[in-house]
Formats: sequence, C-alpha cells, structure tokens
Amino acid sequence: MTALLEVEGLQVRYGPALAVDGVSLRLEAGERVALIGPNGAGKSSLLNAVCGLVKPAGGQVRIDGDDVTGAAPGAIVRRGVSQVPEGRQVFGTLPVESNLLLGAYGRLFRGELVSATLRYLRGRAETRARLERIYELLPKLRELRERPAGQTSGGEQQMVAIGRALMADPRLLAIDELSLGLAPVVVQDLAAFLRTLNEERGVALLLVEQNAQLAFELCSRAYVLEAGRCVLEGRSAELQRNELVRTAYLGGGLEVVPA
Amino acid sequence: MTNFLQLVVVGLSSGFAYALVGIGMVLIHRTTGIVNFAQGAFAVMGGLVTATLVDDVPTFLAGLLAVLLVAAVGGAMGFVALGRRGRTTLLASLIITLGLALLTSAVHLLVFTDVPRTYPRISATSWDVGGVTVDPQYVLIACVSLASALLLTFVLRRTIVGNALVACSDSRRAAELVGLSVRSLGVLSFAVSAALGALAGLLIIPLIPLTYDSDVSIAVNGFAAAAFGGLDSIRGALAGGLVLGIAENLVIGYIDPQYQLAIGLVIMLMIISWRSRHEVAT
Repeated sequence: MTALLEVEGLQVRYGPALAVDGVSLRLEAGERVALIGPNGAGKSSLLNAVCGLVKPAGGQVRIDGDDVTGAAPGAIVRRGVSQVPEGRQVFGTLPVESNLLLGAYGRLFRGELVSATLRYLRGRAETRARLERIYELLPKLRELRERPAGQTSGGEQQMVAIGRALMADPRLLAIDELSLGLAPVVVQDLAAFLRTLNEERGVALLLVEQNAQLAFELCSRAYVLEAGRCVLEGRSAELQRNELVRTAYLGGGLEVVPA
Repeated sequence: MTNFLQLVVVGLSSGFAYALVGIGMVLIHRTTGIVNFAQGAFAVMGGLVTATLVDDVPTFLAGLLAVLLVAAVGGAMGFVALGRRGRTTLLASLIITLGLALLTSAVHLLVFTDVPRTYPRISATSWDVGGVTVDPQYVLIACVSLASALLLTFVLRRTIVGNALVACSDSRRAAELVGLSVRSLGVLSFAVSAALGALAGLLIIPLIPLTYDSDVSIAVNGFAAAAFGGLDSIRGALAGGLVLGIAENLVIGYIDPQYQLAIGLVIMLMIISWRSRHEVAT
C-alpha cells in the first residue's frame, strides 16, 4: 500500500550548503510522526521542501504515491497537505475570520485568479459550514473573529494558523515548531487539541519540534535529524529509551544515574 | 490671503492626482514588494489616450476605455516585472519597471508625437468662491480620487480578493503556503494601480497638458506621496499627495515655478532619510 507521504533521499541546498542531505521518511494516513533535532538540523528545510516552498536539489517527494517533487505550494495544499509555518505567520492586519477564509480560498487556486474567485463565490455555503466546524473545534477563534490576527496572543495566533490550515481540509497537517515561544500550558492545550483532531478526524500530523519531550508525547514515531541527515528513527517509546536521544534531547546528560 | 487660498486650491487638484499615483505605488509595494517606477507612465498613457479618443467618442467613454486599456497594459507590465518565481529579485523587478517606463515613454513619442495633448475641462465656466476661482475640474478630481481611495479600501478590507492582496503584504510566505497565487495577485495589483494612475492622468490633463516625457515628474511626485506614508499606507499616500500638491503650488506662486519638481524630490529625500534614521533607531 502506498503511504500518504513518502520522502526519498531528499536534498535541499542553499547555495553551497546542503541543509538536507539525503533524508527519507514515510508517513501513513492518520499517523502522528515527529521530526526532531537541534537548530539547523534541516527539519524546517525538509518540511518546506515537502510543502513546495523550496525546490529540492535532489530526491523525491510523493503524496499517495504520486511524484510531487518541486510542485508549487498550492498544488501540495490541494493534495491534502497543509503547513502551519514556523512563527505562525498569521495575516496580522486581517481579522481572524479573514485569515481562516483565506485558507479555504487559497486551496481553490490553480494559478488563476478569476476562476479561483468564481469557485470560491460559488462554494461559499460550503466554506461557511467548514468555518463553523473550525469554530466548534476551536471556540476561542469564534470569540476573536473580528480581531486583527496580529493583535492576539502567541497561543491564539497558533490556533489561527492551525485553523487556517484546516480550512483547506487537509489529510496531513505539517506543523513547524508548535511550541516555539509559547507558554508550556498553552503548548499542552494545543497538543491535546491536535491529538483529538488526529484521533477523531483522522488528520495525520507531521510535527517538527525542538522540544523532544513534547514530540514523543504527541507522536507515535519520530525521526531524529542532525546536520541534514537522519541519524535515528523509530517508535517514540523506543527512542525515549535510547541513550543518544536521552543525552542529547531529553536532558539526560544532566542526570546520569548509575544503577 | 485670497492669493494663498487660490494657490492651495490649485495645489489640491494636482495633489489628488499625485495621491492617486501614490496609492497605486503603495498597492503594488504592499502586494509585491516592488517599487514601480512605471507608475508615471500609466498616468501619461491614461491622459494621452483619453485626449486622443475624445475626438471620436464621448468623454466619459473615452476615459473608461483609456482606464481599461491602461489596466491591461499595467497587468502585462506586472507580469513581466514579477519575473520568475524565486528567480527574479526585487531589485531586478525594480530595474525592469524602470526599463518599462522608458519603453512606454518611447512608444508614447512614436504614437502621440511630442505635441502636448489636452482635452476640454468638464465645464468651461468656473465658480467664484469668495474671490477664489474654483474650476469644476478640481472638484471632479477630488471626488474621483476620494471615491477611488474609499473603494479600494473597502475592497481590501471586505472582499476575499482584497483580503488576499493584504495577505500577500502581511506574510508572503503564508500566502504561498495556503495556496494563494502570489504572482496572479501581484499582476492584479499592477492592473489596479495602472487604472488608478490612468484616472489621475486623464483627470489632470485638461488642466496640465501632458507629453510623452511627463511621466518622470509624475512618478517622482507619486513616489514622494507614497513615501509620506512609508510606501505602505493608502491614507498616508493620500495625505502625502495633498501636502505635496499644496507645497509645490506655494513654491510656484511665491518663489519660482522652476523649483516645482525639486519640491517633490526634496520632500522625498527628507522623508526617506528621516525614516531610515528612525528605523535604525528602533
């Protein structure tokens, strides 16, 4: 059976530097998978290459077995893979609701403005219904719908970014640094929400995270990236016991406990 | 005092035209990051085409056709200036607009020759308001400019396409990620800006005849107006255009008409140097 997302020998190059050097990964429909590793390991570059923001220098990205390497971001969204970008990147001057609606509008683009707009206007009722579903999932967004997204808290902006991505009705949500700059309590709430979303709606998760503890709690499998290469992969439970992972990512180095 | 008021009133009329050109620059800059130097060419084209068409069709229709034509040309220019995704830098795009401005100017010279063009004002009689002469054309310029600015603001705030244009300026990266075609939206911003520029040109040409090479001074003044609001604010460009128009006319009236263009340049330089210092400081 073909996986929802397959990445094979992917390379991403910025000038002479190889940010991602031959990484492969696989994600089945409905799975929760994490990419962990230190700053600059190539996690975000990998995600951006999958989502079409950067063109890979080599390797292949497949969605449902179809080669989508180097496709435009919009094409990836229409394939059912939406990204929640690092630093949220909400449309700050626009109201929260407009942010969400643009998530639905964006999916209708095939490079052509007029036909996308016509499709959007024709499908307004369906978009409204989807908006209602998002408000039911994230009631906070309904309260904030008139507020410019830039004037909401970090956690609320993360909800806006997630809601915006969900408006495209994705089967896979790729989240770049969920916890970055957010209070631990807020992160726990968002993690719980994502778990529910995954379990009840079957939306798969690909989580890029520096906080390995969070990644292991939320995801069943993980890939460990270092200097652009995948150095480890496996089930979260196993990786959590791995000596290398413990010392490097879980603060195990500070609590060396001889038996 | 009457003389002063007269100069202000005349200044306001050209000020509204600068404001329209400036608002167009703001729209393109916000959506694409490009500073469009061909903005003056849109105004000249709008004016010259209208002045030529009025010989054959009613003025309103001539103006409408000119606006549509210039919008199409502007969209095509945007398509060229935006270049290839991820390959064309902002600086390259800016140079391309400069080249397109020169090219347009040359085409204008070929098609319309170097004779200044104009067409009759909306009304031959003007009003006397407390000793100040108010030409109905001034009022027309003010009304059309304000209406365009309001309409544009409404579209940007309330329609999905307008929101998408704003989204590009808020976060181009996120706009791409949700699937919006940043490129088509950029072309749209060029077309709309061109239409605004054309309106400015066709409204001002009955008062100030234009030639193929008028685009430089219009572009400079439009840019100065736009720079007033930091190239990112429609209201700022509107205010900037009016301030500039009045200042320019006071200089013409009290000092020397020769310095007309210099005013725009000086104000532009002052704003830019003040802003750059301000931004470094914060």
